Amino acid sequence: MDAVSEVRDGLGGEMKDHSTRLLRVLLIAGFGGLLAIMLIAGFTALRTLGELHRAEEEARREYLKKNQALNTVNLVVHSYTDQVEQYLLDNPPVATAPTFETQVDQLFRDANAALVQYPDSGDPMELSLLAEMKSQLRDQEKMFRSVLAMPPQDRQRQGRNAVNRDLIPGRLQLLNATQQVAALNRQKQEQTDSQLFAKFGHLRMRVTWMLLLGLAAGLLLSLMCGIYILRLERQARRRYEEIAKSQQDLERLSARLVDAQEAERRALSRELHDEVGQSLGALLMDVSRLKSRLSQNENLQDELDHMRSVAEKTVATVRNMSLLLRPSMLDDLGLVPAVEWQGREISRRSQLEVDVQASDIPDDLPDDYKICIYRVVQEALNNAARHASAHHARVELRRSQRLIEVSISDDGSGFDAERVRGMGLLGMEERVRRLGGTLLIESKLGQGTKVRVQLPTSVPYTQEHAEIANTARG
Amino acid sequence: MRKLRILLADDHKLMRGGLRLLLEQQPTLTVVGEADDGRQAVEKASSLKPDVVVLDIGMPNLNGIEACAQITQTSPTASVVMLSMHSDEAYVLRALKAGARAYLLKDSAESDLVRAVQAVSEGKSYFSPAVSKVLLEDYVRKLQRSGVEDSFDLLTPREREILQLVAEGKSNKDVANLLNLSVYTVETHRANLMQKLNLRSVPELILYAVRKGIIS
Repeated sequence: MDAVSEVRDGLGGEMKDHSTRLLRVLLIAGFGGLLAIMLIAGFTALRTLGELHRAEEEARREYLKKNQALNTVNLVVHSYTDQVEQYLLDNPPVATAPTFETQVDQLFRDANAALVQYPDSGDPMELSLLAEMKSQLRDQEKMFRSVLAMPPQDRQRQGRNAVNRDLIPGRLQLLNATQQVAALNRQKQEQTDSQLFAKFGHLRMRVTWMLLLGLAAGLLLSLMCGIYILRLERQARRRYEEIAKSQQDLERLSARLVDAQEAERRALSRELHDEVGQSLGALLMDVSRLKSRLSQNENLQDELDHMRSVAEKTVATVRNMSLLLRPSMLDDLGLVPAVEWQGREISRRSQLEVDVQASDIPDDLPDDYKICIYRVVQEALNNAARHASAHHARVELRRSQRLIEVSISDDGSGFDAERVRGMGLLGMEERVRRLGGTLLIESKLGQGTKVRVQLPTSVPYTQEHAEIANTARG
Repeated sequence: MRKLRILLADDHKLMRGGLRLLLEQQPTLTVVGEADDGRQAVEKASSLKPDVVVLDIGMPNLNGIEACAQITQTSPTASVVMLSMHSDEAYVLRALKAGARAYLLKDSAESDLVRAVQAVSEGKSYFSPAVSKVLLEDYVRKLQRSGVEDSFDLLTPREREILQLVAEGKSNKDVANLLNLSVYTVETHRANLMQKLNLRSVPELILYAVRKGIIS
């Protein structure tokens, strides 16, 4: 059942893995896209702004240039007409002819230069106006030349005429043309301005759109991120729960293992002791009886003796096995005598002399406690005798208000308690932990070992334990 | 001569059968009853009034030691022979404290049982040689390894005499009569020797005597 659900979990997990990977790719792409949108938007906005700025600058410069040219022309026209008028009407003339000529020549050159420099915008109306201005200027120049060529008396006579006929209308025409061009220029400038404004508006629109797009993408992304994070959180929580559960399972399993092991041992021990041992005992007695009945037959006596010694050896083996599996002393005598027996048993087999001190240990300890303490002592003494080659060990059993304290110390070679964790030690820890107690091992190389166990005296005795114990008894 | 009446208590039928055969080979002995467990043993001991009860130490319901304690209370005329798989002093001492007079290993029951039954019927103690051997070995080894002097050497000849007699089950009065001493003197000697040997009770004294091979 567990295995099946695990497999299903596995498949589901794979699918989820897949969708998570997809989501991750989407997120990365999304972030990339968002970044790209921002970059493009910023870049285009900057560039367009630059362009607009440049165009505006250019238009302004052109406008100013044109204005300047027109002003020059205006100025030239005014000053030229004034001078010519003065020249023609004043008598005698203020300026001598050559000075006047150079002055007016200079004025024409300025006007022509201004018109030549006038930027060509390709507008036919402007061009025709300019052409007209040029031709007017040429006419005026021609007239001026003719005025210059006049002898002073003609000048006196025809001067007024020339002024009225040629000079004033020409000036009017020229000024009129300049005004028209200026108006055109202004109009054009206004047009350019409005174009720029339109472009700017367009840009603003585009930037707004880009921003909106970015915002939308950002919202989408944060939504996806939220989903992703939620999913990760959920996964983490599930993992944690799974781990916690498997840890719990493990603990329960190991507790069950200890219980089951103990139950199994007890059953085996009982079987060995009660069935095998007793039958062998009966057999031994039969052999003895047979021997006394057949006391006259020497050969048979020897064979019976042999049978007897074999049976005796077997009985001893079976008894030792049975005791190793389950120390019946615990049931027959109680904890303290059983621990004392264990100590003597160890000293019979090894160099280790064990001293047991017990105070105030109640006889009615639960079986769990008895077996736990007994096994811990057994393990510690065995380690002391076998691995640490200790000569003396001291077992102390004490009972305080809420604790049973057990300590086993030896004078053996010790070990590095931080690093070494054999199966035996793990078994001890497991047994103690199950009863809610603590196990402490103090040992250093060359300094002996002290194992200390503290067991709380009130521990919930769970149904599970009781069941296992019952199956063991049955 | 009246036959010795014996009650057999062992939870194993095979074993019981063997023991019964063994005992009834002797013309002076008769098995008057059998019990499957400790509780039955206590009941039959009070109803059958046997001279000797042979008790297996490991029995269901009520183990041999508990049963022994109850039998010595309710049927003081019956002497108890304890049968056990264990030669360890923890068992021997518990059996003695419960009032058993003899302690036999099951493996050697067939050679020792008859002797043990006869000994307890005469008010003496009996221990399987194997038990005495184990007790002595444990004792000697402990003395050697801990480097302690054998306190037995501290006893006077008179105290050793009294130790043996008490261990054999004699009362202070019997001892006084045997040695031509006053009861008071015997009590003093006894207290002294128990203090020297660091013994606190008669069962411990008996165990000590067995251990030293003073009685068997």
